[in-house]
Amino acid sequence: MLKKYIISFLFVFLQYLVASQNAAAIDYKAYGFIQPEITTFFNGDGRHGQSNSNQSIFVKGTFITYLNNGDQKITINTTGRIDEKDSERSYIDFQKFKYEQYFDDITLKIGNELIFWGVNESFNIFDIINQSNLAEDISGTKKFGQPMISLNYNHSYGNFDLFIMPFFKERIFPGRNGRPRLALEVDKSTVAYESSSKKNKIDAAVRYSTVYDDYDIGIAHFYGNNRSPELNVNPLSQKLDAYYPILSQTSLDIQSTKGAWLYKLETLTAKNGEERHFGIAGGTEYTIYGLRETTSDLGIIVEYTFDDRNDFAFNNEGVLALRWTKNDIKSTSLLAGLVADMSGSSNRFFAEFEQRIRDDLKVFIDMSINGEIDADDFTYAFEEDSQLTLKIAKYF
Amino acid sequence: MKKMNYAKIIFIVFALFPFYLSAETAEEQGLRIAKASYENGRGFTDMVSDQLMILIDPKGNEVTREVSGKTLENLDPNDGDKSLTYFKTPKDVEGTVMLSHTHISDDDDQWLYLPALGRVKRISSSNKSGAFMGSEVAFEDFSGTDYRKYEWKFLGEEIENNETFYKLESYPNYENSGYSKRISLIDNLNRTYKVDFYDRKGELLKTLYLEDYVLYKDKIWMANTMKVENIQNKNITIFKWLNRELDVGINKKDFEKSSILRLAD
Repeated sequence: MLKKYIISFLFVFLQYLVASQNAAAIDYKAYGFIQPEITTFFNGDGRHGQSNSNQSIFVKGTFITYLNNGDQKITINTTGRIDEKDSERSYIDFQKFKYEQYFDDITLKIGNELIFWGVNESFNIFDIINQSNLAEDISGTKKFGQPMISLNYNHSYGNFDLFIMPFFKERIFPGRNGRPRLALEVDKSTVAYESSSKKNKIDAAVRYSTVYDDYDIGIAHFYGNNRSPELNVNPLSQKLDAYYPILSQTSLDIQSTKGAWLYKLETLTAKNGEERHFGIAGGTEYTIYGLRETTSDLGIIVEYTFDDRNDFAFNNEGVLALRWTKNDIKSTSLLAGLVADMSGSSNRFFAEFEQRIRDDLKVFIDMSINGEIDADDFTYAFEEDSQLTLKIAKYF
Repeated sequence: MKKMNYAKIIFIVFALFPFYLSAETAEEQGLRIAKASYENGRGFTDMVSDQLMILIDPKGNEVTREVSGKTLENLDPNDGDKSLTYFKTPKDVEGTVMLSHTHISDDDDQWLYLPALGRVKRISSSNKSGAFMGSEVAFEDFSGTDYRKYEWKFLGEEIENNETFYKLESYPNYENSGYSKRISLIDNLNRTYKVDFYDRKGELLKTLYLEDYVLYKDKIWMANTMKVENIQNKNITIFKWLNRELDVGINKKDFEKSSILRLAD
C-alpha cells in the first residue's frame, strides 16, 4: 500500500519537475529494443514434463532527461517479457525509475535502481543489492530494480555510498512449465522471514570504492533480508518453502589492470541467520590483441570460486572461457567456455554469439550443453535442459 | 687590409649561418617541428564536441556512427588528457560510455559502461592497434597524438599540391603499436596535413588526411575532418567533429570513474 503511495508521489513529483521546465527546452533521450526469441531443447521433453521448445518476446525501454542544466536527472528503464510457456517468466519491471540530484560532491538518488557490485566475469558472489529473477535466467544475473534512497559522496580519497532500501522483493523462480526449473515448485504461500518485519524490513548498505593507480578497490557492507532464500522441501505439499534469513555481509573487491592482463578478486564474510560463512572468487583475463595480424582479439578467462558451506551450490567451481571479438563493422563476437564443478563431475559448456546484421538489428545465438551432472548436484534438475536460443533484437 | 679582414669575417659568418642552423641534427629538427605542431593544438582547457564517423567499404556502402565527447586538457605537461565518450549509434550501443585517462609514458586508464551489462568495467588499454568501432582508425591514433610518444626525424621538404611541407618520419616508442613507422607532412603553420602509416612488416597500411582546419581562440588549430584511407583493404573512414567548443568550463570531477554513471542509462 505504502509502496503505491510512494510510486504515485514520485510520478506526481516527476511531472511537477518536468512541467516546471520550459517544455520546448526539455532535452531527452529515449531508446529501446524488442527481441523475439526461440528456444529448442536437444533432449526432447524435459525431466519435469516441460515442452521441447519455447518462444518469448523481451522488451527494454530507456528514457533519460536532464533538468536545470544537468543538476537533476530522471531515468526510466523498463524491461519486460511475454513467455509462451512459463507464466513466472512473463513480467514487467522498472529496473530504473529514479530521480537524481547532483550537488558539488554529493549525489542524492531516490527511486528504483540497479546497483552492480563486483569485478568477475562469472562469479559475482556479493552482488546483493538487487533481487534476482531466476525465471528470466537461471544463473541469477538478471535482476529486478530495487527501491532506494541513496547518497554518494565523492571525496578525493574515494567514493562513499549509502543505500537505504525499503520494499524487499521475493526471488522469482521458474514456474511449473519453466525450463530449466528446480525439481519442485517454490510455494509462494509459505514464504517466511527471520526478521519480524518480514518483507517490510528496511535494508541498508554502505560501500567505499577508489581507484589507486592500476587498482580498482571496493569495500562494502550489507545488512538486511538475504536476497537468496533457503529452500526446504515441505513433505506435505511436496513443494519448496522459502525462508529469507537476515544477512550481514562484508565484502572486498579488487581488480588490477596490468597491460593485457586483468586480475580479479571478490571475497566476502557473512553471517546468514545464525551461521557465518566465507567465500572467495577470482581469476584472470588475458587478451591477445590483433590475433594473427588481423583486427580480432582473443581473450582468455579463467575464474574460480570457493565457498566454505558444503551444502552451497557453488562451493568449488571453475570457469575456462574464450572471448573472440572480431572488431568488425558488425561487432561480431563469440564467448564460449566450460563451467566445471571441481569437487564432482558436473560440467556445462556454453557459447554466446552475436552480430549486428543491420544498423537497427542484432542477432544473438546462445547455446548451453550440459555434460554429466551428479545426482546430488543442485543443477541435476537441469541436466536434460541443453538448449539453443536464437534472439533477434530490433532497436528503436 | 684590416678592413678586408673584417668584411671577410662578416662574409664567413653569413656564409656559415645556414650551417649553424643545420647543426641541428635531423632528429632534433624533427622533434622541434613535431613539438610545434603538437603545441598548435594545446591550450584549449576543455572541449566538447559531437563526432560523426562514416565508414565506407570498397563497394561504396556507407554506414554512419555517432558519438559525443568531452575532453579535459591536462595542465601537467608530463601527463595526458582525460576524455569521456558517449556512444549514440549504432542503436544497440546507445548509452555506452567510455572514460580514458591518457598517460604519456604509461598505459592509459580506461573504463567502459555497457548498458547491456549495467556495470562499469576497467578495461585493458594495451589494445593500441585495435580498430575503433570497426573503423580504420586505431585506438593509438586518438591516444597517441603526443609528440613524446615517438622518436622523430626530419627528412626534408616536399611539395604537394603546390605547397611546401616539412616531411617527418616517426617511430612509436610505446609497446604494442600496429605501426613500424609514420611519415607526416606538416605545413608552414605547423599543421599536420597528411600521415602515411606503415604496418609492422613495413608495408604502407593507410593514409590519414587532416582537413577543415579551424583557428580557435586565435591560437589553436584543430582539424575538423580526418579521413583515413586504408591502402590494403581499401576501406575509408571519415571522422568529422561537429559543434566543437573549447574552454566551456567543464568540472574536472566529470572525468572520474564515479561520474560515468551520471552519463549512463
